[in-house]
Amino acid sequence: MDNPTPKNAPGPSDGFDEFEDKLKQAFLRRPAPPGLKRRILDQRNRRRTARLHDRVVLWQRLAACLVLAVVLGGALTWRHIDQQRKGEAARNQVLTALRITTRTLNQIQTRLAARDSDE
Amino acid sequence: MARAWQPDFERLVEEHQSMVFSLAWRMTGDRGLAEEIAQDVFLELDRHMTRIESPQHALFWLRRVAISRAADALRRRRVRGVDLWIEIEENHGAPHEERSSPLGARLEQLLTTLPEPQRAALVLRYQEDLTPEEIAATLESPLATVKSNLQRGLKLLRAKAECHLKEYVRPGKSLGGARADG
Repeated sequence: MDNPTPKNAPGPSDGFDEFEDKLKQAFLRRPAPPGLKRRILDQRNRRRTARLHDRVVLWQRLAACLVLAVVLGGALTWRHIDQQRKGEAARNQVLTALRITTRTLNQIQTRLAARDSDE
Repeated sequence: MARAWQPDFERLVEEHQSMVFSLAWRMTGDRGLAEEIAQDVFLELDRHMTRIESPQHALFWLRRVAISRAADALRRRRVRGVDLWIEIEENHGAPHEERSSPLGARLEQLLTTLPEPQRAALVLRYQEDLTPEEIAATLESPLATVKSNLQRGLKLLRAKAECHLKEYVRPGKSLGGARADG
């Protein structure tokens, strides 16, 4: 970008008329108020600190979300495995009960068959 | 690719605080507001430091943003007219040593009564010594508009000076035509 360098010095012979020369003299740059630079730098530091704090808080929140997600995921997985284990145990119990029932029925049938042959 | 020039924020503030503050003050006519604008402009510069390519770019950027922020502030506060300017000046007046000459102060007062585009063009022309082409680039306006604003602003300011300032009431003597087109 081609930008100009300010000259900002009044000169009566720059192609300006008398009124314009007066304007140039009246419109000289004013000195900045004392302490302006310090206030700018202080505010800049405050903003940087605040931005850093915000970033730390953001990372903390992200970490908390991650931990929460891991805990929630672990709990759901554990619950799923526990339900599978309980289901398996119940199935085994039902099969055992069926086996016992079958055996008992077979015994009863054998006894009934023996009584019928005695008669 | 590494840049040859590395911007130093503190140095930029040191070098350009007077320019930014003066632009804001002359645009708004309010010293306190000008200080706030100058602070905002430099804090925005801090956020855009990575995009600043050279000292000239920094200067150009600061001028443009200072004028833009001052215009925004003017729109918000609707500062109009000499009377309000004087009222504000009483509230936020500079210490005595900072004040310009009486004639200069009154010309600045009259400046604040001009329409905003004319004021911006005149401030950049006579404070920053920019050519109309440079002003057009700074304000992102067409060159013809800038030249028109300069001529009309200067004519209006001259007329107001002749009307209000006794230093310029010179019977029979013309103050000369506007030559603000560079």
